[in-house]
Amino acid sequence: MKGRFLINGETWELEFPPEATLLEVLRSNGFTEVKHGCDDGLCGACAVLLNGKPVPSCQVLAATATDQPIVTAQGLGTVHRPHPIQKALAEAGAVQCGFCTPGIVVSTYALLQKTPDPTEEEIRHALDGHICRCTGYVKILEGVRLAAQRWKRAK
Amino acid sequence: MGRFVGKPIPRIDARDKLRGTLRYVADLKVPGMLHGAVYRSPVPHARLKGVHLDPGFPWNEFVVVTARDIPGENRNPMILPDQPFLAEDRVRYIGEPILLLAHPDPRRLRAAFAHIHLDLEPLPAVYDLEDALRPDAPRVYPPDNLFVKYEIRRGTPEAVFRQPGVQVVEATYRTGFQEHVYLETQGMLALYRPGDDIKIVGSMQCPFYVRNALRALTGGREVEVEQAPTGGGFGGKEEYPSLLAAYAYLLALKARRPVRIVYDRHEDMAYTTKRHASVVRHRTAIGADGRILAMEVEVYLNAGAYATLSPVVLARAILHATGVYHVPDVVIRGYAVATNLPPSGAFRGFGAPQTLFALERHMDFLARNLGQDPIAFRRRHLLKNGQAFPTGEVMQQAERVQAVFQRALEVSRYRERQQALEAWNRQHPNRRRGIGLALFLHGAGFTGSGEKKLASRARLVLLPDGTVEIRIGSVDMGQGTLTVLSQIVADVVGAPLERVRYATPNTRYNADSGPTVASRTVMVVGGLLEQAGRRIRHRLEAALGRPLEKPEDYEEAVHRLFEAEPTALEITEAFRLPPGVEWDEERFQGKAYLDYAWACYVAEVEVDLTTYQVKPLKFVAVQDVGTVVNPLLAEGQVHGGVAQGIGFALMENLEVKDGRFVESRLAEYIVPTALDLPPEFEVEFLYRQGDRPRGLGELPMDGSPPAVINAVVHALNTEIHRIPITPSKLWHLLHPEAPR
Repeated sequence: MKGRFLINGETWELEFPPEATLLEVLRSNGFTEVKHGCDDGLCGACAVLLNGKPVPSCQVLAATATDQPIVTAQGLGTVHRPHPIQKALAEAGAVQCGFCTPGIVVSTYALLQKTPDPTEEEIRHALDGHICRCTGYVKILEGVRLAAQRWKRAK
Repeated sequence: MGRFVGKPIPRIDARDKLRGTLRYVADLKVPGMLHGAVYRSPVPHARLKGVHLDPGFPWNEFVVVTARDIPGENRNPMILPDQPFLAEDRVRYIGEPILLLAHPDPRRLRAAFAHIHLDLEPLPAVYDLEDALRPDAPRVYPPDNLFVKYEIRRGTPEAVFRQPGVQVVEATYRTGFQEHVYLETQGMLALYRPGDDIKIVGSMQCPFYVRNALRALTGGREVEVEQAPTGGGFGGKEEYPSLLAAYAYLLALKARRPVRIVYDRHEDMAYTTKRHASVVRHRTAIGADGRILAMEVEVYLNAGAYATLSPVVLARAILHATGVYHVPDVVIRGYAVATNLPPSGAFRGFGAPQTLFALERHMDFLARNLGQDPIAFRRRHLLKNGQAFPTGEVMQQAERVQAVFQRALEVSRYRERQQALEAWNRQHPNRRRGIGLALFLHGAGFTGSGEKKLASRARLVLLPDGTVEIRIGSVDMGQGTLTVLSQIVADVVGAPLERVRYATPNTRYNADSGPTVASRTVMVVGGLLEQAGRRIRHRLEAALGRPLEKPEDYEEAVHRLFEAEPTALEITEAFRLPPGVEWDEERFQGKAYLDYAWACYVAEVEVDLTTYQVKPLKFVAVQDVGTVVNPLLAEGQVHGGVAQGIGFALMENLEVKDGRFVESRLAEYIVPTALDLPPEFEVEFLYRQGDRPRGLGELPMDGSPPAVINAVVHALNTEIHRIPITPSKLWHLLHPEAPR
């Protein structure tokens, strides 16, 4: 079947099998920053923003995601001007193997959009849907705190 | 400290990872590529008498590979020659690869599986290591289901145990299987080029191990192997990628097209290697003065159906069995036991977490039994300089052990917190808090003879444009190799950091710097790069006519060096054992490791007596790993290793039922998330002027499980001898009368 997808501010007319997940459609069309981690919607590597809310794209039927804004990690910032969240996470040492990272970036963006001044609890809950096997989360949490401070100041 | 070494420099590859533009093997787009899949044994143990393909099925659409398609040897060249790439006449575990398929449409692969029929004659199977040791047990590995057995002996422990007045304390400790859960599953791509010149690209820790495996598979071809950005390894991508590369290679060879195999999470969890489940029996002779006189330690590892790396995992396990303590008379025996399970393999810590859990629990258990304070009891038994480890190696760094011990007690305010928590418990009937500690070591690098055999080489190339290229086989799998080795090279050469380039690890163009394992990369490979860099610097300074001092001197020196002849300067250094490092691998005597890292970890926990959940509240990690090249990344290694250790101790339950791992999806196998880790976490590195790096990556995995469990024991005043201790297991432990 065919559908119109609004990905990172651009419109894409894409063909896909009716049973395809949003993850499959995104990855097979070059959005490989959306990672395939577990198939069960539990690891967060495939998180994207759908209508501004983070969702595990492996659990979303592609057919239900047409005509709605979708944001991936590449939709935030550019190569030469990384988004403040990306900058803060890099400086805090929040990145190791990098496979969970694009998902964490979009969830952090969703959190700070809604809650510019999050509490520790709110940060931990926002990231609870993401598995990072490398960092023990300590520096990811630091990165999110740093991003929140900077973003608030920039606004 | 230099301009870069010692500085908290953010990792060089962070930007691409944060945008998601870094391409892992599953992200590569390859024209004409087929998808590969592995057809596996559905039974744990059987004679395989035939493989039949349904004649009504359109097999001409598929590429089909069996053991008969292997051009060279059907044996994975590991320590023992027991593991076939593809099963021939026998299968030994559920999931053992039998046949390979490739097709342009991955969805067609599953459909084809239903049209493959096996002629199997079932054999009895065994999964539990203690069952496998019974005389009447099914034979997985003849004659006795032992891949190897080792012994380390010092003095005459048997005589001490027989002395009158000696008190003997015994306990048995058990640890479960553990799954790596690297976030990127295993994946491998075979690129077909004319003349059957196939190039392998994939997720791996050890490109040269993969090359060696393919050399056997092909009967001697030098296959080019290249690492793709790797999304976590933790040991899980040490030996396993050799098999996957062989499968992708065989399919591409037959198809004459590129083939990629990427496991899904379930396949990865169900059939790839795990940390060895263990049983460790301690028998300890205590003298009338309450001192340890002798120890007998028996270490059993469940190795699964093939030996893979189990002999060396077992060696490391027994070499860490008595830790930092002086035991005058001691015998340590180790057994790698064959069972009908997927082969166990490398996992961060490599046998040491199992024996150090047993030891650091046992030290608490002994102290509590003898009415002694666990801190004082440990201090009494610390190896002094000049005293010997069971291997005969003489302790020379006792003050470093004392320093981490002392500092951890200070930072955690151990005594004060111990009393405060006990008072807190009196106020809170439904919750219990406790504090616990572990004092431990990790031998850095392979054993002495192992590093000698590896004879690693590292290459630096100074290009005429001033780029310094690092050409080695050591990989970055997330731990930060790319950044820290670049820091080391920039400092020693005198180049700006951005002039150092880390060439993609590749077996055709780079030097074989050995596998990316055993906490050896910064210590061994970093050391070789330093030697090579020093030679480059000499050449630059000779060209410049004076020492490189200011940053701008570098460009001037490069210009002068290449003025006459713009030919790249290539320096390769080879590892040689330092004098005095002798290791007898038969008798387990001599200097086991090139050096050691030392640490003391303290945990505070809370146990909820309604839900039986254990919540870590605070963690203090003090270690001496020598020079810290990059504190930001080093702290990240400690945080991540401790998180895996907390998971191993409290959450990551992996049961075996009828030859299968029950928890083979992330819905069932629970790893820590941001909510599960201690809200307070302090990391400190102790080192001295003139220190060199001594291995960090595995250390945090060794000490965190016993620290956490000793805290739970303190909280509940109940001994725990087995991990993981999930809420339901803790409930049963506290309600022994309840039916299971």
